[in-house]
Amino acid sequence: MEALSAFVTVLAQPQLLALVALGTFAGIYIGAIPGLSVTMAVSILISFTFSWSVYPALALMVGIYMGGVYGGARTAILLNIPGAPSAIATALDGYPMAKRGEAGQAIGVSTVMSVIGGFVGIAVLAVAAPLVSDFALRFQPRDYMFLAVLGILLVGSLSTGSLVKGIFAGALGIAIGAVGRDPLTFTPRFTFDLSLLNGGISFIAVMIGMFGVSEALLQLHHVDKKAIRQKVGRIIPSWKVVRKHLPLSMQTSTIGVTIGALPGTGGDIAALMAYDHAKRVTKNPERPFGDGAMEGLVAPEAANNAAVGGAFVPMMTLGIPGDAVTAIMIGALFIHGLNPGPMLMIDRPEMFWFIVGALTFANIFLLIFGLTGIRLFTKLVEMPRAVLIPLILILSIVGAYAVNNAITDVYWMLGFGVLGYFMRHYGYPLGPVILGVILSRLLDDNWRRAIITAREDWGRFFDGVFSSALSSVLLAAIIFIFLSHTPPWKWAKARLFARPKPKE
Amino acid sequence: MDPNFRGDDDHHDGTSDATPGGYPQQRRPGEVFFTCFLLVASAVLLNEAFGISGFDKLSAPGTVPVVTAAIMVVCMAIIFFQTIRLPKVTGESIARDILPWRVLAFVGFLVGYALAVRPLGFLPTTALFLVFGIRLLGRGWVFSVGVGLGALVCIWIVFRIIFTVLMPPGIVPEAELVQIIRNLFSGVR
Repeated sequence: MEALSAFVTVLAQPQLLALVALGTFAGIYIGAIPGLSVTMAVSILISFTFSWSVYPALALMVGIYMGGVYGGARTAILLNIPGAPSAIATALDGYPMAKRGEAGQAIGVSTVMSVIGGFVGIAVLAVAAPLVSDFALRFQPRDYMFLAVLGILLVGSLSTGSLVKGIFAGALGIAIGAVGRDPLTFTPRFTFDLSLLNGGISFIAVMIGMFGVSEALLQLHHVDKKAIRQKVGRIIPSWKVVRKHLPLSMQTSTIGVTIGALPGTGGDIAALMAYDHAKRVTKNPERPFGDGAMEGLVAPEAANNAAVGGAFVPMMTLGIPGDAVTAIMIGALFIHGLNPGPMLMIDRPEMFWFIVGALTFANIFLLIFGLTGIRLFTKLVEMPRAVLIPLILILSIVGAYAVNNAITDVYWMLGFGVLGYFMRHYGYPLGPVILGVILSRLLDDNWRRAIITAREDWGRFFDGVFSSALSSVLLAAIIFIFLSHTPPWKWAKARLFARPKPKE
Repeated sequence: MDPNFRGDDDHHDGTSDATPGGYPQQRRPGEVFFTCFLLVASAVLLNEAFGISGFDKLSAPGTVPVVTAAIMVVCMAIIFFQTIRLPKVTGESIARDILPWRVLAFVGFLVGYALAVRPLGFLPTTALFLVFGIRLLGRGWVFSVGVGLGALVCIWIVFRIIFTVLMPPGIVPEAELVQIIRNLFSGVR
């Protein structure tokens, strides 16, 4: 009963419902406008909403997250420019559909599939999180440590980039998170005898720099790029089309929610994996993939919105973010004095059910806003980059300054912005850096607890690991990720799974 | 999915972690220098980490920093040796694809902004930044001044009045301005 009452809190308080609606509406546009990303928006927003109560702040962020993951699809379809990373796969078939004059149908199908994916993600969150949370109470400190390492490694291993660069990015994040006085012994770490480093580096400055400033600087490459607009016809898709693609959308929603629930991996990776899945399972598409196949649109759109619900599972139950946006939301909860993890689910279950409720209503608003307002959308989305880029930079500066009213945070933000810009150019993922910063404390604390429990003895530590099924599985997963990127593994995989060449 | 697909046909600039920028089998201009920079920075961090508490106990405050910095050094050494062996990307230059003049100019603007915002104050510094920033991106003076100042007023009202973010006032009597606006509204009531 309490759960139900917390679930409908959004509905009971018009102000919260309005904030969810506003967030979803804004999220669609933020996701759609190339150069504005959800991660950037939420990281800037956290610095402005930290003086609010926790419910309104979360209502707004949840709406922006849900809307933003979907919003990227519209520009991917209409302009061939993915508005958000999660819409990269959508552009591959969405834009060819628009060129054929089917932009309206593509937008309608992507909206409905996003909403279906979103509901699958929310349902999994509502069912799985309480179970995971009960299970998580039995977690040992070493399990949290392994989970943190696994989260940082997964981004590098599941993306198309280099695992070594992913590991470096994660380690860099952990090092940034360790700067300042050690909370247990008060020993200065990475302070270089500078007093300004004693308090550590504000993680908000790092986030805004990495996702706001670096993205704005990258957009400077595309100031002169002209997008070709397509005509939009009827948007609401027919029931026949929806029913035909329902099985695929359910399959890819499952992929999305699973990828989203893995620590560290979000909608962008889920969408690309779902697209690959659709290519494998669709035997006779009406049009080939890459040339406007409807299945190429359905799969990533269902998956990326399903990943939203999935990403909240490890965040709410373990305090380990499912992706970069939930990493920032963990920061928001910290600021509001809450500590995400299994105890939050027990002490404040209403917080969890409030988030589930906010996500559900955001998904309903997504359907409403997604199928309407396309004329306003086509006007707003073409906001010139010449205005947008300086504005993003100013918002980033104000956001970084606002948290501590310290100009030092602005300097840090600019420094990390420039570093992030070069990292993006040279193929270093930024997600692991943010994950590392957020998980640094959790990893350090749990490592020290684990090794003190084992009386500083490696033998006892590994005895503990091997006597626990969970610890063994987590350690095996970490080792597997490393092994799967080594030349012997790749050689063995090629030999074992190679398809015989057809005889000429 | 094409492993070389980066979501952006022009610059391979890493829009997403799912498809990071760069090229898997080629080296971009300036990549060796950046790799060297990160390698040296990681070595400096490792040296600093050893000074935290030594490595006497596994639970010492310096253990995680030492291990983290050591991982950074090892990763960067691997990346360095991989990078120098890769062939250069043909048809790309630092000036066109990595650090075009607009990026350099904006980084200069940002540094200038950070230095000037305290003595000058938020309002004049932001006005200068927006107007010159929009002008630099190819818009005319009238558009730049109009849109820049209009945007500044919106930002100021939203963040100073609604979110009550206190930016450095500098030479502008901001508190008095806010009071005048509040008086105006209380007068209306």
